[in-house]
Amino acid sequence: MSQHTKEVFYGLYNDEEDLIHAIEEANAQHLDIMDVYTPFPVHGLEKVMHLEESRLHIAGFVFGSLGFFTAFGFMTWVFTRDWPIIFGGKPYWSVPAFIPITFELTVLFAAIGMVVSFYTVCGLGPGVTNPVLDDRITDDKFCIAFETANADLNALKAFFAKTGAGEVHTKTI
Amino acid sequence: MEMMSGDHSFTMTGRERNVLFGFMGLGLLCIVLTLIGDDAVHSRFWSNYLINAVFFTGVSFIALFIIAAFTTTYTGWYIVVKRIWEAYAQFLWVGLILMLVLIAGIWGHFHHLYHWADEAAVAEDPVLLGKSSFLNKYWYTFGTLIILGTWYFFFARPMRKMSLKEDAEGHDTSFSLYRKYKKYAAIFLPIGAFTSAAMIWQWVMSVDAHWYSTMYAWYATSSWFVACLALTIMMVIYLKGRGVLPFVTTEHLHDLGKYLFAFSIFWTYLWFSQYMLIWYANVGEETVYFHTRINEYPVLFYGNLVLNFVVPFFVLMRNDTKRKTGSLFFVAFVVLLGRFLDFFQMVKPGVLHTTHEALAHHGEEAATEAAHHASTFTAGFTIPGLLEIGTFLGFLAFFIFFVFKQMEKAPLVPKNDPYLAESLHHHVQ
Repeated sequence: MSQHTKEVFYGLYNDEEDLIHAIEEANAQHLDIMDVYTPFPVHGLEKVMHLEESRLHIAGFVFGSLGFFTAFGFMTWVFTRDWPIIFGGKPYWSVPAFIPITFELTVLFAAIGMVVSFYTVCGLGPGVTNPVLDDRITDDKFCIAFETANADLNALKAFFAKTGAGEVHTKTI
Repeated sequence: MEMMSGDHSFTMTGRERNVLFGFMGLGLLCIVLTLIGDDAVHSRFWSNYLINAVFFTGVSFIALFIIAAFTTTYTGWYIVVKRIWEAYAQFLWVGLILMLVLIAGIWGHFHHLYHWADEAAVAEDPVLLGKSSFLNKYWYTFGTLIILGTWYFFFARPMRKMSLKEDAEGHDTSFSLYRKYKKYAAIFLPIGAFTSAAMIWQWVMSVDAHWYSTMYAWYATSSWFVACLALTIMMVIYLKGRGVLPFVTTEHLHDLGKYLFAFSIFWTYLWFSQYMLIWYANVGEETVYFHTRINEYPVLFYGNLVLNFVVPFFVLMRNDTKRKTGSLFFVAFVVLLGRFLDFFQMVKPGVLHTTHEALAHHGEEAATEAAHHASTFTAGFTIPGLLEIGTFLGFLAFFIFFVFKQMEKAPLVPKNDPYLAESLHHHVQ
């Protein structure tokens, strides 16, 4: 999204337990972590990083409700106002027959709405390429990254050495 | 593991015993009062008995089914509450005795719960005659004895014994005891799934002997499933408050809450599937079931959906309501009430109908009068009266007393279970 680049100083860990302890240490030293990258979801990470709960499910509820009222409202309008037809001797406004379609549209709107919300919030989309710090982050390495701009590089080096990072690199992304 | 010190045994307190016996006494009193004020064939007493017997037998069956399913699927998180479900499953032999009373009633003509058990009526009724190869007292008797006996004697009891043996002896290097346990669990799944359907047709659905529905067995089993989950959640929260389940954390309650949420939706899905198919096809033999319930039992019909779908769906939808003890307990309580109502409305209309036929047969005009007033509220039939609630509480107290007795026999933590460590470190968020 943003065009300007930044220099990132990052360390790679071999184990998620080491990663959690390192983050706790960084918190204790009041180091300003840019982000943490892991190959799989690590339990307890959101607690030590003080991440707030995702609001994506609220979007899901809103889009789901939208789908519910769209489907139910549209069928109600069609079959009672616009084009009333009698099917199998049932009343025009046949609620049981509407429910499966209402359900489907609720799920469809919630699913698509949440995907679009998620992509928008994360700045993802067609044609967007996100810089990858290290390919092994998607395989078996756990990474803590700092921005170098306002940081004391020596303090970070000492931090990585203390917490047992296997490798330390600098990269401009 | 240092946190595993202590024996984690459970002993019923004197107060618990008194309260449970108090409620059992209340239940007994309600049963006696029901019998005193009942009609000539005691339809109110017998239908209450059927509802409660089937309800608690079903809960214990589902507990066994959950253990079997979780064992087969390598589930780890539930180990800290496994002993509760093991205790529930042992209730199956009491269920067998409860059903024996109903069987004796069919042979001795004590009750008229089932229209198909009336030979004279079957002979002149082509529908009942057509179903008589399945709906007859031999199938009911031997089906119940063999199937319920299989559940208990070949699965619930040996699996419990293996679990206790595991506690005492631990495992050899090849985990042969646990492998044997897994085999029992895997074999029980198909057997339990098919036979429970046959039992529901016999015990509950055949109350409406003329009716046809292919969704019914699933629908009733899912009702049992939700009932078992609601009872488990309330039991776990109570025992945790008492301090005897220190390893059950918010994470385990969160998972139990998710199960309650999911299976409430599953039940609603099956309820609706049955309703919509019948509504669409509009075949008289099928619609009569819902026609009766919508017109003559509207409180039960709509209340069922509110208690069993609307409340759990909207309350448990959020993340935090599944993690907070208060809201989870509240929903479990409402749903347990809803489950009772669900079985109540499955059984009562059919029994009332059969009773009228039976009484008309016996020429008792006065009693058939109730048939013409079925659209007005009648406590005990169109809505549960105080006696129904008291009887249910009595059975519930008896069930809990039995479960506590079972839990006293073994530590609440199966200390040698291979998945115990996973359960202790369970983390869902």
